[in-house]
Amino acid sequence: MNNFGVIEVAGAKRTNAPGWAYVPDTGPAPTVLQPANRKRAARNQAKPTSSDISARQDTKIRKELEALDRDAPKDVNIPIPPKTGKAQTKYTPNVRKILQSQKTFTNHLDDYQALFALAETNPTAAAALNLIQSKPTPTHTPAATTARNSPAPPPPPPAPASNTTSKRSAAAAKRAAAREAKEAAEAEAAAAAAREAEAQAAAEAEEAAAEAEAEAEAEANAKKIDNDDDVEMADAPPDQTSATSTPERDSKEKSISPKGPQSYPPDGTILPAYQKPPPAAHPSDNDVLLVSPVPPFPTDDELRALMTAPPLSYLAARAEWGDAERQYPARTFCDVCGYWGRVRCMKCGSRVCALDCLDMHRQECVTRYGL
Amino acid sequence: MVGGGRQSQPAGPAPPSTTLVLDNGANTIKAGFVTGSRTDAPRLIPNCIARDRHRKTYVASEFEKCRDFGEIAFRRPVEKGFIVNWEAQKEIWDREFFDDKAPQKCDPSATRLVLTEQPNSLPALQAHCDQMVFEEFGFASYYRGIGPSFNAYQDIQAIFQTPREPDTTIDIPAEVMLLVDSGYSHTTVTPLLQGRPLHTAIRRLQVGGKLMTNYLARLLSVRHFDMRNEPYIVNEMKEAACYVSLDFNRDLEKTWKGTRGERREDYLTGAGIAKDYVLPDSHTRFHGILRDHEPAVSARARKGVVVTEDIMTLRNERFAVPELLFRPSDIDMHQPGLADLIMQSLSVLPIGLWPGLLANIVVVGGNTLIENFSQRLQTELLERVPDACVVRVGRPENPITSTWMGAANFAKHEHVERLAVTKQEYEENGAGWVARKFAAGLGVDS
Repeated sequence: MNNFGVIEVAGAKRTNAPGWAYVPDTGPAPTVLQPANRKRAARNQAKPTSSDISARQDTKIRKELEALDRDAPKDVNIPIPPKTGKAQTKYTPNVRKILQSQKTFTNHLDDYQALFALAETNPTAAAALNLIQSKPTPTHTPAATTARNSPAPPPPPPAPASNTTSKRSAAAAKRAAAREAKEAAEAEAAAAAAREAEAQAAAEAEEAAAEAEAEAEAEANAKKIDNDDDVEMADAPPDQTSATSTPERDSKEKSISPKGPQSYPPDGTILPAYQKPPPAAHPSDNDVLLVSPVPPFPTDDELRALMTAPPLSYLAARAEWGDAERQYPARTFCDVCGYWGRVRCMKCGSRVCALDCLDMHRQECVTRYGL
Repeated sequence: MVGGGRQSQPAGPAPPSTTLVLDNGANTIKAGFVTGSRTDAPRLIPNCIARDRHRKTYVASEFEKCRDFGEIAFRRPVEKGFIVNWEAQKEIWDREFFDDKAPQKCDPSATRLVLTEQPNSLPALQAHCDQMVFEEFGFASYYRGIGPSFNAYQDIQAIFQTPREPDTTIDIPAEVMLLVDSGYSHTTVTPLLQGRPLHTAIRRLQVGGKLMTNYLARLLSVRHFDMRNEPYIVNEMKEAACYVSLDFNRDLEKTWKGTRGERREDYLTGAGIAKDYVLPDSHTRFHGILRDHEPAVSARARKGVVVTEDIMTLRNERFAVPELLFRPSDIDMHQPGLADLIMQSLSVLPIGLWPGLLANIVVVGGNTLIENFSQRLQTELLERVPDACVVRVGRPENPITSTWMGAANFAKHEHVERLAVTKQEYEENGAGWVARKFAAGLGVDS
């Protein structure tokens, strides 16, 4: 078809011509083909496009959440009652600045974010923000849950290093690889000696490394050493762990304890192994159906890395929806009575449960949107 | 309640004998002294400046004198769990601890301060706090630690009533625990090893007591009277009436009136869920009363018979409000519920730690007093973890002062000597050094 080189572009803008309109059928949202009141049709558009609905609803939801999060329904300004008799004391400059600050938490958070953004481009600002660490993404998925039941699941990867340290971590990985080769040679000699050497090597490396690199390196170290230990642990006969595990879960003093000291590295000093004799043997201890898999216990280095990790930033610690949460179906409730929201109002899209509540809702809806 | 520590000590290496332990919550301050091995009971101080409808202002513990809670407005120095407004906070601290007639008089120059803060604070706010403590109040020695970690400094196995031999040594701090702190501003999950928080796994859910109170106020305003300006009354109602539903669908079904013209049996009788709440009238009654639902009474009220009391029948509001802790998506909040929050926190930790953490979950904070909180959390967690895991959820006897009690034990523990910073050190090394020292925490012993 010759259209003289004119290509029609689907525009986001939709003119609402009175009389008729193309309306995309995008889902359950109610459609009003003909606005009853044609005056100011564009402004009173009864049925916005689907994208508009989500944007509008987003704003509405955000506003509602903000309202719920506020301390007071309206701004109150309660002045501090004047002190009687006590003369105003002198403040140090810092204190005066803090006392006179009228910043709210939101202001402080914005400042912090601005500083954070600056730190990404400016290394001097990054030094001021040395406490910040990137947040590890939640890795909990149903797949992970099933994987956990396998006899020797690999430990989850430690927190990924931030982008700025990618060079460093690469260097650390190289160094760690060299160390691994060395360790392998030593491991042939004697297992115990090897473990000592590992600890020593790790200690030496930590001392030698610059302070800034120490953390990334320790993480790499922990990973390497952990892998080695995993191999050692796999060598242990699985019967040992199953023999000591007990089906009487309620009698456990500490959850770790009943599994017996065998399943844990004997050199674990941060969380020492259970010293007391295990509970009395039960005839069905060796029952294949009752045996619980014992996950490998983290090594001291891994624990040390966890315990000495710097705090996350305020925003990083806020929990977000993971994949698992996204799968839950959204529950909708009746705006009037709080029962399930099974019916949607044709005019405004809010949910009600049944005709009774719909009538009640209409009274309010009419005053807001007209007939 | 007046603590010791009045005797002046020479400034020097000797640590002060008195410690002021302060759990500075958004709703209440928990404060008390630890002198030597003696621990005074903590005092709960409202952390607010309140103004009633007669424009009378109450600061902190003066609030006890307030009788008429209608249309009361609060100014709170703590926002989102962190001390933000020091002007108000200083006024409250001054009146409670430093003025001549203060109920808990304390001489900062001979006292150590152990202050709790919420995890993941902003560095600027932490710096403000340190500066105020040393430059304005002038405490001799000071430690600011995150509140959840103090809970490890108590006998947590006693909370779970673990059977054990009498000669068992009590681990202080507790070896492994997972602390859930559900307070006024938010809910946090903190895994702890030997009292050290595992910072990478701390997670926060922005649902707290305040949000639930506001949500209840909104629901009531739609269904009954406008209660949005009555935060205190609604909060009282929430504390008295709300419970966590163990079967949300069933309870919701029971409270439904039915469709047009229909009135279901459960709705009319109340089915054990509906309750009548008698609102305070500010003349004879200053606090609300919760009663079992009497259909006749509310029917009379509907017919316009003159009744002397304002009655509000609470039905699904009772459990829909605490439900937000477990399903924040009910108000379209894109955050995981509490059980998923714990799973997210665990997902960044080695699986070998899971059994220990899951078997030692301690819940603290005012929201945990809501009926069935622990049971619901335990049920939801059991659905999510492998069968072999033991899940125990324990609540201390008093979950509100639990953090304070732990902090008081901490003040007697040798760890406090390793962590506290003296005024002299602050003056020599500056605020940045103090902040770094506190952020680094205890480190690892071995």
